Amino acid sequence: MANPFSMLGWLGCAGVAALVSAAEVAPLATEVRPLGWIAFSARSPQGDWEVYAMRPDGSDRRNLTNSPDTEDFYPLFSRDGLQLLYRSMPRGQTLSGNDYGRQGRLMLARANGSEAKAMGGEGELPWASWSPDGRQILTLQPKGFAIVDLASKQVVRTFPRGGFYQQPTWSPDGKALVGVSNGFNTGWSIARLELATLQANAVSVADCCTPDWSADGQRVVFSRRRPHAGENGGYGWTELWQAGADGQGASLVYAEVGRHLYGGHVSPDGRYVLFTGNLWEDGDPANRGAPMGLARLTDAPMIAEHPQLRQVYPQAKAAQVLVLPAGHEPCWTSSQAPGLPR
Amino acid sequence: MKRIGFILLAVLALAGLAWLWKPVPPKAAPFPADLGSVEVVAKLVEVPPGAVFHRELYHYATILRYEVVSCARGNLKPGDVIHVAHYDPWKPRAEAGDARAGQVGGTVRSFVAGDRHHLALAAPLDDHYMGGLVDKYFGQHAGVTYWALRTDVD
Repeated sequence: MANPFSMLGWLGCAGVAALVSAAEVAPLATEVRPLGWIAFSARSPQGDWEVYAMRPDGSDRRNLTNSPDTEDFYPLFSRDGLQLLYRSMPRGQTLSGNDYGRQGRLMLARANGSEAKAMGGEGELPWASWSPDGRQILTLQPKGFAIVDLASKQVVRTFPRGGFYQQPTWSPDGKALVGVSNGFNTGWSIARLELATLQANAVSVADCCTPDWSADGQRVVFSRRRPHAGENGGYGWTELWQAGADGQGASLVYAEVGRHLYGGHVSPDGRYVLFTGNLWEDGDPANRGAPMGLARLTDAPMIAEHPQLRQVYPQAKAAQVLVLPAGHEPCWTSSQAPGLPR
Repeated sequence: MKRIGFILLAVLALAGLAWLWKPVPPKAAPFPADLGSVEVVAKLVEVPPGAVFHRELYHYATILRYEVVSCARGNLKPGDVIHVAHYDPWKPRAEAGDARAGQVGGTVRSFVAGDRHHLALAAPLDDHYMGGLVDKYFGQHAGVTYWALRTDVD
């Protein structure tokens, strides 16, 4: 049975913007339910952050970390869905909306959360991202990028970070990374770095963050702030966009007035996108996270109906967003491993 | 009546004292001789439009252009043009430091073109700062970009 919470829509859960009706998103929920598992971090009933897994329609939720003495967050499935990285810090520390990738210790576990072990000390191996084969991780530190072999824990390659400073993600083919860079005029650019040549190109130079690759590695999904008419105190709302990894063909995925859309993550089959709909900027991860959403990429460009957005995006479709529970930095695997008994 | 006259006199005296009193600026800590790798006095050439703006939402650093007046440490000479990144430049330097930027400080309260600053600098920038950067000189400068650890009024 689908999680009834997932059928309520933004309006039902937060009173911000009306999307389509529950009946209209029901087919979407049915469609995605068997497509693997989503991992995300969220507050437990005891108030600490735990890593949870659930079916993509929000059903069958389970706690993967079960550690009430720690704050566990930022889960990342390996590309084969058999392993899980996350970070863990003592209970009571505040999760930072910008620095979560370097807070606490990096943990490695099986995809169902079992056999968890620390991979380093506090703050070490920051912004870890999986290699395509799940044998290495890419990390980002002030001194530069480092590729670490997980079995031996040895650094196998280092290279300058060239202005990249957060949220690097290794491409599905292992040949490049995307991340947030300050090397392209504006402070929060999305850029791609070719690992063979260390040549970087901008994907988007507006105020951007939280990039992720499409399943085929040809496109990048990212968040982009666009103050169309000076709304939200001049800061505008953050929209979900996509562009070619070479920076060409940027286009809207989804926009909403009243929410910042962050944490875009493309499904393993490339047909859907996951994100969070933050009411506040950094305040949501510091508190309870924000309701997550799931939509079809084939429906893009889409908006939550609003006169102001309709004026900016006259051709956009009315969004069909499956609203999921509150969480932070969701990721998706097609593997069934997260659901296996521990 | 006498009493009212006395109170009036006292108020006038206090007002006069307040008018004469000038706040004494807090004495700055001595400029450290070993902070960073470069110590210069330099003139802030300009503050480009959009380089410094009030933004509570996200921290950023901005790159400003200086002309070196004198160099106490490092290999710079008078007349050299350097580019320096200042963290959260809309804040007084004494209030700008935080966990992300580390020890950033100084007596400068705001950036005004033509002012002379006594600077302790570190380089390269990437070794000292991971965050948003506003660079109005993008594509116009190559080589070292310095990170400002301390920025005092000269």
